[in-house]
Amino acid sequence: MTVATLTCAMVTLGVLFYVFYLPGRLHMGPEKTRLAYLQERKEVVYENLRDLNFEHQAGKLPDQDFKSLKASLEDEAAGILAEMARLEQAAIRPLPGRKETRI
Amino acid sequence: MSQIGSFALLLALALSTYSFLAGVLALARPGAGSERLGETARRAGIATFAVVFLAALVLVISAFHDDFSIAYIFHHSNRDLPAPYKFATLWSGQEGSLLFWSLLLAAYGFVLRLRHKTDVRLFAYASAIISAVQIFFLLLLNFAAHPFALMQGELPADGAGLNPLLQYPEMVIHPPMLYLGYVGFTVPFAFALGALIMRYPGEKWIRITRRWTMVTWAFLTCGVFLGAHWAYSVLGWGGYWGWDPVENASLMPWLTGTAFLHSVMMQEKRGMLKMWNMWLIFATFWLAILGTFLTRSGIISSVHAFAQSSIGGWFKWFLVITFVTFTFFFFKNKSHLRSEHKLESLISRESSFLFNNLLLLLACFTVLWGTWFPLISEYVQGNKVTVGPPFYNKVAIPVALLLLLLTAVGPLLAWRKTSLESLKRNFMWPALGALAVGILMVVFGVRPWQDIAYFYALMAAMLSALVGLTVASEFIRGGRVISRHTGQNLLASMVHLFHRNTRRYGGYIVHFGVAVVIIGILGTPFNQDKEKEMGFGDKMTIGPYTLVCESYTQDDNPNYSNEWAIINVFKGDRKIETMYPERRFYKASQQPQTLPRIRSTYKEDLYLTYEGLNEQTGRPIIKAHLNPLVMWIWVGVLIMIGGTVLALIPNAVPVRVPAPARIQTAPVGAGD
Repeated sequence: MTVATLTCAMVTLGVLFYVFYLPGRLHMGPEKTRLAYLQERKEVVYENLRDLNFEHQAGKLPDQDFKSLKASLEDEAAGILAEMARLEQAAIRPLPGRKETRI
Repeated sequence: MSQIGSFALLLALALSTYSFLAGVLALARPGAGSERLGETARRAGIATFAVVFLAALVLVISAFHDDFSIAYIFHHSNRDLPAPYKFATLWSGQEGSLLFWSLLLAAYGFVLRLRHKTDVRLFAYASAIISAVQIFFLLLLNFAAHPFALMQGELPADGAGLNPLLQYPEMVIHPPMLYLGYVGFTVPFAFALGALIMRYPGEKWIRITRRWTMVTWAFLTCGVFLGAHWAYSVLGWGGYWGWDPVENASLMPWLTGTAFLHSVMMQEKRGMLKMWNMWLIFATFWLAILGTFLTRSGIISSVHAFAQSSIGGWFKWFLVITFVTFTFFFFKNKSHLRSEHKLESLISRESSFLFNNLLLLLACFTVLWGTWFPLISEYVQGNKVTVGPPFYNKVAIPVALLLLLLTAVGPLLAWRKTSLESLKRNFMWPALGALAVGILMVVFGVRPWQDIAYFYALMAAMLSALVGLTVASEFIRGGRVISRHTGQNLLASMVHLFHRNTRRYGGYIVHFGVAVVIIGILGTPFNQDKEKEMGFGDKMTIGPYTLVCESYTQDDNPNYSNEWAIINVFKGDRKIETMYPERRFYKASQQPQTLPRIRSTYKEDLYLTYEGLNEQTGRPIIKAHLNPLVMWIWVGVLIMIGGTVLALIPNAVPVRVPAPARIQTAPVGAGD
């Protein structure tokens, strides 16, 4: 048996062992729910609000622009918060035959 | 050794195939056992990296051991080749560079698979897609471009040597940088396609891939400009960009990748342009493969296409398959990509991103059209017509100027809409500064009405100034807000500001770098060159320099013989430097090479080449170029790379300061 053959055999055995020997439990992570998605959206809208606030403080936005942009972002945030509240309530007291919506 | 390399490639192909098939099966049939199957797929992907690494290692060791029984080593190395170039043999030819591509893809896949806990399912999709791409390259390596193919007949005593053009220090780092960029775009593409296939809820995949995309973009930027610098320092024609098809091939994914980096922010912040972004990242990945196809297939002639072969057919099929697969999933899951908002105003941050994208795509299309025009013209008219720099410049210069304008304007526009009052408030001082720069240029002799090139130079200078001033104004305004709340001085506040949002302010530094690069490019219309036969003591004047030929000399070493001129450079009566433009003759490859010598200052480059002897008179010919502002290009690129690195630093936790808003619990930070 040559050195090359021996090396190839050892590499193959090592690889097979690494790939197929799976001791213990596997980490699969949670399924992403609508609620998790809304949480992400909420964070983005809050971040947008912070940006807007900062730009206003930096003098980049006139008061009128600031108010109108802020109002539209707050409306968006309110919509997300309302849906999150509905889903959280449904999760606490699930109605018969209803599950949390997955998307 | 070659047996181990060949076996490693076969094993890597088997592992990738398993990783892909088991990964797809586990995702397609979730249920008992699928989790373990998915985990074996992930591990097979990780093992692929180890095995491809082994194959690459074998090739490099073979180069260092001068193992000319391997055809690839014979064709791209020789005994007297210096060690760094022996290492670079790995990517100096067709088979090796494909192996290197495969290695980098495996390395990216390795890192991705190790980080799978971030989002197991999404990463599993991305892993399967990367495995599919890997299979293609490993098929090529095993069956079409085998790097361990053996020499037939009697073994040669020495190798044919490395292409002289590649025997330059930058060539040791330029291809890896470029490849890291090309290959790296596979990762955001894999995540995007994975998110599309699984109808991934939300835009988190963009956050996950943000750093990948930025790092990849930085590598590609580095690769493109190192290529330009190499061309400038080695090819000896005095320029850095010749619109060569292979240069174009690297520029196209860079343009679409840059567009993606910008437009993806709209998706992340406003849930807009989802379909557009999907196509952009696909186009970037596809163009990177197309670029490789151009270099490898030999269908378009190029000074760079040193590794032509018949593997073009493989690439054609791969391009078709990826296009069909992507299009299928796009139309299947198109409904998932609906925009959450519409464009509210043409004067808004969103519209500036949109116009930026359109311009970058226009530039990309122009480059694509110009690169493929020889083939198109041959198909339509029967003869190959090649388009040169005037074609590209006609579109590229106005597009670059408009992009520069958007680079200046974009950060000052608000998301959603910007009022005229706001525009006036933000633009007045930067615009006045830019105007002052324009007036100064006219005062110092630039006459834009005499030549369109001067007009472009003037515009580029004004717009670069505008970019610099808007970036400065962003830092100063933001710094003042921080300063008001923390009591720090302005400079400390600006550093503080940067740490609040590294991505945004790092991005501004990149913009500033772009402006500096443009300043360097705008020197081009003022280039001068002269050529003269110069004997001992002969003089040549170019710009403020007087060149005096002192003598010529020659030398010999095992790798090459060389001769060079000794030229004393005077500015006025003062001798400022002695330069040694050189010609080499590489023994193994029997090829000559001209090596220019460059004296760089922030004002101009004095660029000398020794062109050899005039065949009729027997006298040596020296060519001199005076290229203004070139150093600014390289400095600008360093700023761009530095800005990208800074943008990769994680944000500091924002300090809470009172905000006059109804939602008051949110901290004030500087946003994107």
